[in-house]
Amino acid sequence: MPVTKVLTAGIGEVDLRSIDAYRQRGGYKQWERVVRELQPVDVLNIVEKSELRGRGGAGFPTGRKWSFLPKDKNVRYLVCNCDEAEPGTFKDHMLLEEVPHLVLEGILVGAYAIASHHAFMYIRGEFQRGYEIFCAALEEARNAGYLGQNIFGTGFDLELTVHRGAGAYICGEETAMLNSLEGKRGEPRLKPPFPAVEGLYSKPTIVNNVETLAYLVPILEHGPEWFAAVGTERSKGYKIVSVSGHVQKPGNYEIALGTPVREIIELAGGLRPGRTLMAVQPGGGSSACIFEEQLDWPYDYESMAKAGSMLGSGAFVVFDDTTDFVNCAYNLVRFFAHESCGQCTPCREGGSWMERVLERLVHRRGVPGDYEMLLRIAGSITGLNLCPLGDSIEPFLKSVMLRFPDRFQERIVAAPEAQPA
Amino acid sequence: MTERENNFPALLQRLKPQCEQIIAQYEHKRSAFLPLMHLFQRHEGFVSREAMEAAAEMVGTTPAEAEGTVSFYTLLYRRPVGKYMLQVCRGLACTINGAEDIMAYFREKLGIGHLQTSQDGLFSYEEVECLAACDRATCMQVNLEFVYDLTPQTIDAMLDAMRAGSYGVAPMAQTEAPDGTWQIPQDAQVAGGRKSPGATGVPQPDNAGGVGDPSGVIMLDNIINRNILRFTGTRERAVIDSRAVVERVDEEGTRAGH
Repeated sequence: MPVTKVLTAGIGEVDLRSIDAYRQRGGYKQWERVVRELQPVDVLNIVEKSELRGRGGAGFPTGRKWSFLPKDKNVRYLVCNCDEAEPGTFKDHMLLEEVPHLVLEGILVGAYAIASHHAFMYIRGEFQRGYEIFCAALEEARNAGYLGQNIFGTGFDLELTVHRGAGAYICGEETAMLNSLEGKRGEPRLKPPFPAVEGLYSKPTIVNNVETLAYLVPILEHGPEWFAAVGTERSKGYKIVSVSGHVQKPGNYEIALGTPVREIIELAGGLRPGRTLMAVQPGGGSSACIFEEQLDWPYDYESMAKAGSMLGSGAFVVFDDTTDFVNCAYNLVRFFAHESCGQCTPCREGGSWMERVLERLVHRRGVPGDYEMLLRIAGSITGLNLCPLGDSIEPFLKSVMLRFPDRFQERIVAAPEAQPA
Repeated sequence: MTERENNFPALLQRLKPQCEQIIAQYEHKRSAFLPLMHLFQRHEGFVSREAMEAAAEMVGTTPAEAEGTVSFYTLLYRRPVGKYMLQVCRGLACTINGAEDIMAYFREKLGIGHLQTSQDGLFSYEEVECLAACDRATCMQVNLEFVYDLTPQTIDAMLDAMRAGSYGVAPMAQTEAPDGTWQIPQDAQVAGGRKSPGATGVPQPDNAGGVGDPSGVIMLDNIINRNILRFTGTRERAVIDSRAVVERVDEEGTRAGH
């Protein structure tokens, strides 16, 4: 299985952080072409034709998202979502630090496509190094005249503001990100109105993931047909998969969508010798596990949904037979409980109560009825919250509880005096 | 403490041009709030009350809104932290690659737990959520610089270098000299310190909890200590006794003006 290299081309071989190195490989040519030769609607058409879907997690068609912008409003914003914090995802981290100019060019193209004159780059607070690298790249691009006033003499103006987050997973949710950008607590907003209609400062706003925007550059370079020729029926193109967990060569692997799950594990060096595979979490901490019988399924949006999980952000965590799944479930539930913004009661209360129940299971102090109670609470959180964080608690937990019930049951002790959490 | 209070106006004066530059990047001033907090934290080592108030004024909001906002974010420290902020990843990919052992090793070597600061003010320790470096598990950040592929050997070398002052990452600014009251373990145990680091290294015992006090015990303790029973015992006693005190207050009904 040959490794595809589109966004990841050159990473690990050459230093692409300087503008000269990037331009040597054709960098900023597409930006120049877009501004000089194309109208925003042309870019939109190309992206719609490429069938690019959002790479941040939801997989929403990028072109269609852009088309929701009201036609009669002039002020629009583009926000690049680099608040990568989904457990297991580390692709944006790499793109930001290794190919900042590619990311920047993607943002510029995206902003032009939606006719925005002010774009924002929201970088997770922990990525301080990435922030510095990106700011340096931005400075170089500004000096080269790629953004600012009257770009290439065409009369198009574009400014970019780099904004650092300050430690909050929930700010990766687009409306929470907008609140955070407005200098407020990163709490998700009620939708509708969707950001495309009423976003930053109540103006139409598009929020796109780093990887999504970066793919605009090769799509423009090679044409939408090139991108749409790869992949499966409804999942086109390439995707960076962040493989981690019990594999021998964890890392970011760029694949054609539809590559069988088994091949992705093999790409990452396979399991350690003598180990057997127990489960794979194919789409980040919010996704359910898939198991041995689904290893030959294609890794694309539809198949993962059919398997009861999701492709998400492409975080691909592999678990072998050394895994303590009760502890893993505790770990993820604790994560969501910790990161809950606290606005919606089911998520705030449900998450932290489940964390407590799972904690006593981890310590083999479960009480009779815990297994059923966990499933019941999990089920009563999903679908009742403003944002998807609450809904993310259930999938992994439920998938491993149903698959490995004994591992949970064996930690329940019949203790008449045991108190509920 | 007084030293820092005296210094803040000078710091503010010095940072003013930078603040204005940041504010000018946004159509709405309020957007500059988090960047301003990052700026002040870089110079103060934490976000002081004065910094929050000054920034609130600059962006046109209230101190209460400002504190509410700061308290939402885990990377903004509302109390002083040590020179090296050690943030070890407890994410899933790190956990299945041995993060629990690594964290236990840290706790043993440092003699402090999650969200605590060492007595000498050199280290603050926190176990944080996924840092997005799962291919290099187990990982951590030191003052926001990544350290990958942790082993007991690399941890020993790192801590030794920090103690010797030769570690390659710049220490956090220290504007509030540690005076031996950095660590109050009783609080840490009772409050369970859930969100923000520094929250349990309370330098001023009068400072009521906030996020670092989810159970409200510290606050309750303060109320009891100062207003209700004029309790003059040690801090430790007060915390332990607070439940009994509450019961007594309940029984006696109106005693504390309830």
